[in-house]
Amino acid sequence: MILVIAEQRDGKLNRATWETMVGAQQLAATTGAPITVLVAGAGGSAVASDLASAQVKEVVTVEHAALDPYTPDGFTAALQDAIAQLAPAHVLLPHTYQTRDFAPKLAARLDRALITDVTAVKGAGSEPAFVRPMFQGKLTADVVPQGPAPHFVTFQIGAYRVDQVAKGASPAPVRALSVTVDAAAIREKPEPPFQQAKQAVDLSQAERIVSVGRGIKEQANIALAQQLAEALDAEIAASRPICDAGWLPMERQVGSSGQTVAPKLYLALGISGAIQHLVGMKGSSTVVAINKDPDAPIFEIADYGIVGDLFEIVPAIIEAVKK
Amino acid sequence: MQTLAFWILLLIFVGAFAAQVARRVQLVAAAPNTFSLDHLGFRAGRFLLDVVLQRQTIRERPLTGLMHAFVFWGFVAFGGYTTVEFLYGLGVVDLTGARWFHAYRIALTPFAVAVLAGILYLLVRRAIVRPVALGPKLSIESMVIALFIATLMITFLLTFRLVEGSTAAHVNWWVHAVVILVFMALIPASKHLHLVLSPITVFLKSPELGNLPNLDFEKEQVGLETLKDLGSKSVLDAFTCVECGRCQVNCPAWGAGKELNPKTIILQTQDALLAGDRGRKLGEVYSEKVLWQCTTCGACENQCPVGIEHLPILIGSRRGLVSNGDAPDYLGAMYNNLERRSNIWGLGYDQRTKFVQSAALETFDPAKHDVLVWLGCAGSFDADFQKSLRSLFGILRAKDVKFGVLSKERCTGDPAKRTGNEYMYQELATGNIEDLKAAGPKTILTSCPHCVKTIGDDYKKFGYEVEIVHSSVYVEELLRRDGAGIHSGPADAGVGTGGGSSAREVVTFHDPCYLGRYASKVDEPRALLTRFGADIREPERNRENPFCCGAGGGLLFADKEEEPGSRISDVRFKQLQATGANTVVTACPFCSIMLKGAQASAQADTQFVDLMTFVNGKLTKPS
Repeated sequence: MILVIAEQRDGKLNRATWETMVGAQQLAATTGAPITVLVAGAGGSAVASDLASAQVKEVVTVEHAALDPYTPDGFTAALQDAIAQLAPAHVLLPHTYQTRDFAPKLAARLDRALITDVTAVKGAGSEPAFVRPMFQGKLTADVVPQGPAPHFVTFQIGAYRVDQVAKGASPAPVRALSVTVDAAAIREKPEPPFQQAKQAVDLSQAERIVSVGRGIKEQANIALAQQLAEALDAEIAASRPICDAGWLPMERQVGSSGQTVAPKLYLALGISGAIQHLVGMKGSSTVVAINKDPDAPIFEIADYGIVGDLFEIVPAIIEAVKK
Repeated sequence: MQTLAFWILLLIFVGAFAAQVARRVQLVAAAPNTFSLDHLGFRAGRFLLDVVLQRQTIRERPLTGLMHAFVFWGFVAFGGYTTVEFLYGLGVVDLTGARWFHAYRIALTPFAVAVLAGILYLLVRRAIVRPVALGPKLSIESMVIALFIATLMITFLLTFRLVEGSTAAHVNWWVHAVVILVFMALIPASKHLHLVLSPITVFLKSPELGNLPNLDFEKEQVGLETLKDLGSKSVLDAFTCVECGRCQVNCPAWGAGKELNPKTIILQTQDALLAGDRGRKLGEVYSEKVLWQCTTCGACENQCPVGIEHLPILIGSRRGLVSNGDAPDYLGAMYNNLERRSNIWGLGYDQRTKFVQSAALETFDPAKHDVLVWLGCAGSFDADFQKSLRSLFGILRAKDVKFGVLSKERCTGDPAKRTGNEYMYQELATGNIEDLKAAGPKTILTSCPHCVKTIGDDYKKFGYEVEIVHSSVYVEELLRRDGAGIHSGPADAGVGTGGGSSAREVVTFHDPCYLGRYASKVDEPRALLTRFGADIREPERNRENPFCCGAGGGLLFADKEEEPGSRISDVRFKQLQATGANTVVTACPFCSIMLKGAQASAQADTQFVDLMTFVNGKLTKPS
């Protein structure tokens, strides 16, 4: 059995869980093992039905007073008990900060193999290999875990695309699993989580970004880009000159001296695509560029390029999206 | 009686002088030895020009410099006079009656008048004009010393007026002698120590601007962490500083309103060394923030009249910080890019391959090709700069120069070296050197001035020597040989200053620091422009002393929010705009990126043209 540990906070699922789900489904295709998804914490039940939509055998929720707020001691104890009850062959986790915090401890506690930052699953049959980068990404290694099960595997963020998750014909059953945790053994006393005030806008997490360049011409025209962003449910961002001019706040600047972003859709309006801007958004899955200069470097990396006047094109897109 | 009194006074003041000097000598002796005497011929020539002829002092501030030269030459001329008078005063030997001495004294009078004029000029400048370079506080001690020097000259001139043997003559002699003694005792603790040290520091200054010897990791060298890590030359420099502020007023960071002031760095070193705690962290002595504001443009070091080298201190301290993991966040991201992808952008090398293929470039083969073209990080990835390289290729092909490129390149390591990440620099450099040695070019051609410096100067320290030429120099020599362009200007321009000058294209040229200042190549780019009929409007700060674009030293990646004051690029762009030329010609990919950014932010309609694109455009235009 393959156990996927989902990650949620306050009833909000971490997207990376879905990526790990794709990895689990690939592993299931080679080993033929069923998938169980475990979600821990008070918010777990809120996301359980969402998780059950995937093609998995079942979803297990684990609630315990010791799991909220998150502590590495509490999680390790709860998951140790859950793993003992479920007896999986593989335990798969997204390689998030939280996973990095407790997974090594959990694997060490059980004295089992842990393979981190995996980007792909390889091989067939009972001995699958896990691909992970080595030497700062200069090489990749195929790692086959040794020793008794379960084997722990964490998947690199972005290793799989979320839209590749196979959905089930009908929702998988959800059940609650009770675990015993010695609350007195928890040594950490976490403070309430907070976000550093420096960047009020975290563009790096945005799924869609509408980005404005000098081609927007006037501050008044920013409103047009904002309308498009609203229609697409996207964040608005900009290249350096727009932020320097104060048309948008500095925190919305994308590029080598601003934020680095990797949305699914990056819509570049009137951005020429100077290299220092490109390096800030090169990780975007799909880049759509609108620029009146056909020689603009942005077209070098755009998946879709529109040569033309953005003041004609953008209203047309807004209208089309609204339909 | 008077002889005895003079002996006692002399011993007291010489003792005071010696004790203070000894303290400083000890500090220099305790520092790791970084003195070097290579290139003796060059050093001797520079000594003649900068010490004897005061070139460096006069060059930037002609009138002030000349006045200083009067004082300096006067001091030297008076050496023999003072010796004779002191020997007389000490009762050793009386040569004052000799005929030659009389002639010597007469010969000294014009010097005395010149010193007097010079010192009064400098006194007025310091006390009344008060240029910003001299700092906000009026130095009382400098006033006193200026008055001392004036007194010495006046008392000397009075000897011609006063009757020999009279009381007045006696008093005059004593005033002169005592002023010299007190002056001597004041020297070591003041900026006047440069009188003694600057000839030495000028001679010891590295012939290479921004000379940063490789760290030896086998010896566990990690850069400068504390005061005791400062090299002997840096310690000597700290005591030599004359506080003229040339480094300050030429510093682009200071000019853009940032905290960095190279003069302050040197004076902080001096104060910290004298305070005695040699274990003090340099990040505290200077403040870490300030250390990261340097673009490594080299203006401070290049303009210093007393041979101080600022860059080994600034970059050496960065090395110490990086070794302890204390680099700004934006550099962490760049280091990651260098480590994982071997280029500053973090892009995949398939993009370089794509460019190499689309530009139909051949892999270098010494049997087939005259030169190896080094693309660099910008040439490999920046679509904008690739236009410039395509222009260069066009020129080379038109002139039948056979050229090739390496099948793979890494960043030369310049941004790692200048930001103090020596380990990463050495990794990149040794890899490149291996590839270059295998390829075996005699001449490397590049359009990136930073690559010129790194491959040309820094790689020498690994024992790899190759001729590396910037495209502006190479193409100018190429065109000069066959006379291209001279007649292809507008027909009415003619040879002289005919009425056709209105038809000439008005441009301004921004000298890249690593071309103009580091490589002293200032005439070739201009020759290329005028060859094709351009009318160059020079900006303030040009040629060997340009104002930096703000990209160097890793600051290409700096966050504006972390920068106080204005952006350096904005300041430079305004200077270029002020020439009235609507076209700015650039010759460095990083200057181009920074200045175009500034232009976009200023919403100006200024045009930018890369030098190679300018030349290629003129060559291919049918005349």
